[in-house]
Amino acid sequence: MRAGRTSPLLWGATALGAAGMLAAYFVSGAPRFWANWLVWYLFLLSVALGALFLVALEHLVAARWSVPLRRIPERLACLLIPLAGVGLAALGAIPVLYPGARPEAAADPVLGGKAVWLGLPFFSVRVAVCAALGLLALGVLAGGSLRQDQEPGPRFTLRARRFAPAAMAIFALAVSQAAFDWIGGLAPAWYSDVIGVYLFSGTFLAGLAATTLAVLHLQDRHRLPEIRFDHLYSLGGFMFGFVVFWAYIAFAQYLLMWYANLPDEVWWYRARTLGAWLPVALLLAFLNFFLPFFALATRDAKGDGPRLRWVSVVLLAAHWLDMYWLVFPALGATPLFAWPELGFALFFLGASLLWVRGAMARGADMPVGDPFLQEGLRFRL
Amino acid sequence: MAEVFGVLGLFESADALLAAIPGLRARNLGRLEAYTPYPVHGLERALGQRRSPVGGMVLVMGILGALTALAFQWWVSAVDYPLVTGGKAAGSWQAFVPIMFEITVLSATFTAGLGMLLLLNRLPFFNHPVLHSRAIRGITRDRFALAVEAEGAFDPEAASAALAASGAREIEVLPAPGRGEPLTARSILDVLAGIAGACLVAGFLAYWVVKLAPVLPPVSHMLDQPRLDPQRPSAFFRDGRGMRPPVPGTVARGCLPIRLASPEAAALLVNPLPRTPEVLARGRAEFEVRCAVCHGVLGNGIPTLSAAYGAKPANLMTPAMRQTPDGTIYGVIVLGKNAMPSYAADLPEADRWAVIHYLRALQRAQNARDEDLP
Repeated sequence: MRAGRTSPLLWGATALGAAGMLAAYFVSGAPRFWANWLVWYLFLLSVALGALFLVALEHLVAARWSVPLRRIPERLACLLIPLAGVGLAALGAIPVLYPGARPEAAADPVLGGKAVWLGLPFFSVRVAVCAALGLLALGVLAGGSLRQDQEPGPRFTLRARRFAPAAMAIFALAVSQAAFDWIGGLAPAWYSDVIGVYLFSGTFLAGLAATTLAVLHLQDRHRLPEIRFDHLYSLGGFMFGFVVFWAYIAFAQYLLMWYANLPDEVWWYRARTLGAWLPVALLLAFLNFFLPFFALATRDAKGDGPRLRWVSVVLLAAHWLDMYWLVFPALGATPLFAWPELGFALFFLGASLLWVRGAMARGADMPVGDPFLQEGLRFRL
Repeated sequence: MAEVFGVLGLFESADALLAAIPGLRARNLGRLEAYTPYPVHGLERALGQRRSPVGGMVLVMGILGALTALAFQWWVSAVDYPLVTGGKAAGSWQAFVPIMFEITVLSATFTAGLGMLLLLNRLPFFNHPVLHSRAIRGITRDRFALAVEAEGAFDPEAASAALAASGAREIEVLPAPGRGEPLTARSILDVLAGIAGACLVAGFLAYWVVKLAPVLPPVSHMLDQPRLDPQRPSAFFRDGRGMRPPVPGTVARGCLPIRLASPEAAALLVNPLPRTPEVLARGRAEFEVRCAVCHGVLGNGIPTLSAAYGAKPANLMTPAMRQTPDGTIYGVIVLGKNAMPSYAADLPEADRWAVIHYLRALQRAQNARDEDLP
C-alpha cells in the first residue's frame, strides 16, 4: 500500500488549509468564510448523498451488475459522518448570510410570514433531522453490508432491499433540505420549485463521478481486478445520461425564469449571468455538459478507463463550480477567488481524502458476503 | 448440388457462440454472421466487423438538425418577421433551444433508425434464407446461431464439420434464395403511389367527417375562447360595451395633429414633403378619390357631378390659385371653405401635403411653357 507515502502530504495539505481558513476568517471576513464553508459542505454532501443514492438504487431495483462495485459508494457515503458535524457548524452562516434569519426580516412583508421557517431554531432542527436520517440510512445500508462480510448470506441483502424505499425517501428529503434551505435560503424572496431536482441531478453526477474515480484508483493499485469493461461501461453510460439530465433541468429552470421575466424571480439569474458572473456560468455549462457530453458520446468512450477518469475529475470540478455559482453571488457582483478559497480547497479535499482512505481500508473491497456477488462479476452487457 | 446460401449452427448460449467465433474465423471457410435473439455485446468485435458508421451519421445529422432549427428560428424571428413578444429581443437564442433540442433528437433518431434499417442493413428483406430455416424459432427465443455464409469457393461439408467441432448443437444447410433487387424504380413508384393514395383517402375521409357528416365537431377551442366582438355587448366591462373607446387624448402613431387657429396662420406653413415620384403618385391617388369629385380630374372645377350639385366648386387652375401659397391650400383642406367641408378626418397629415404637390403639378401641366418640353 502506498498510504505511507501520501499520508504526510495529505496531512500537510489539510493542516495548511486549516491555517488558511483560520486566516481567511479574520482577514477576509465572516461572510466569505461562511460562503466557502457552505460551498464545500454542499459539494461534499453531494458526493456522499450521491454515493448513498447509488447504493440505495441498487437495493431498490435489485440490481446485480453493480454488486461488485457497491463497496466503493458505501465507503464514499461514510463522508456523511463528518459531514453531519460540518453541516451543524454551517449553522454559523445563518446570521451572516441568510436574510430570512436577520431581525429586520420580521418587518418584511414577505419574509415576516416565514420567520419561523427561516429562523435559526427551526433551521437547525431540519439540518439535524436530515443529518440523523442520513446516518441512519448509512448505518443500515453500509453498516449492514460490512457485517455481511462476517456473516455471509442473504440476510443483510434482504434487509437492505426492504429498507431501500425508506432510504430513497431519506435521500429525497436530505437533498431537498440542502437545496431549499441552504441554497434557496440565501435568497428567501426568490423561489424555484425545481431547485431540489437541480441539486439532485448534480448530486447524482457527483456521487457517480467520485465512485468511478475511486474504482479506477483502486484498480491502479490492483485492488479490484475483477471489475471489467462491462462494469465501467455501465458507470459511463449512467454518467452520460445524467450529464444530459443536469443540462435539461438547469436549462429548464433558466428558460422558464427568463421567459416569465418576473421581477422576483429573474433577478436571481441576472445576478448569476450578467457581468463578471457570465464567464463562470458559461464555464459551468461547458464543464458540466458540453465537454462530458461529447467526451462520452461514443460507445468506446463510455468504457474507456483513462477517459472516464478525466471526465470524472471534470464533473467533480464542475459540481464544485456549480455550488460556487449558486452560493457566491450572495456576496456580490464579483466572483471572489483567491487564497482563502484555495485554503478551503486544501483543507476539505485533504480531510475528505484522509477520511475516505480510512474508509477504504475497512472491510473487503467487494461485498464478499453478498449472495449476488458472483452474478455481478459475471455481468456482461 | 443446388446453390447454397450457407451453413447454420445453433448454440445454447451467447458465451458458447462467442467462444466458437475465433476458431471459425481462423479457418476462413466463408463469411461469418451471427443471428441472436437480443444484441450480444462484443459480437461485432469478435466477428471482426468494421466499426458501424451509424454513430458518425447520427452525430452529423444531430448537429445539422440543431443548426437548421437555430438558423430557421433566427431567420423567422430576427430577419423575416421580427416581432417583439414578451419584451424579448427579436432573435433571443434562449427561446430557440427547446425546438433545437427537439429537431436534434428527431433528426438523430431518424438517422439512426432509418440509416441502420434501410441503408446499412438493406431492410426490408422478406425472404432471407434464415427466416425459412428450422432454427428460426430458436433464434427468436433462446438460441444463438452462427452462419458460415457462402463466399467464393464454398464447401458446405467442411463448414458443417467445423461448426460441429466448435460446439454447435444443430447444423443446417440453407439453400440460396432468389433475392430480388431491394430497390427498383417500380418498387419506389409503388410505394410513392401507395402513400399518395393513402393521403387522398385519409384527406377525403377527414373532409367528409368534418364537413359533410359532422359527427365529431372539429377542435374549436380558438372559436370558443372568451373574446370581445366589435359592435357587440360584453358583460366584461361595467358599461356593457365590448369595443373600448380610446383613452381621451390618444393620438394614432404618425398622426400628431396640427392645430390651425386661422387660415392666416396656415398660410405660413411650408410643405415638408420632397417632390418625388412616389409622393406625386400618392397625391394623385388621393386627389382623384377625395378632390376630383367636385374639383374635377383636371382640377378645373368642372366635374361630372356639377350639374346635379348646387354649389359651384372652385377652379384650381386660375392664375390666382397658382399664386396661393401651399400653406393656404393646406388650411382649406383642414378647415374647409364656403361649402367645402374639412377633409382633416379623411386625409392624414402626409397625404394632405402630397395632394398639394400633385395639385402644383396639375397647374404646371395645364400652363406649360415651351421650356418645359423635353
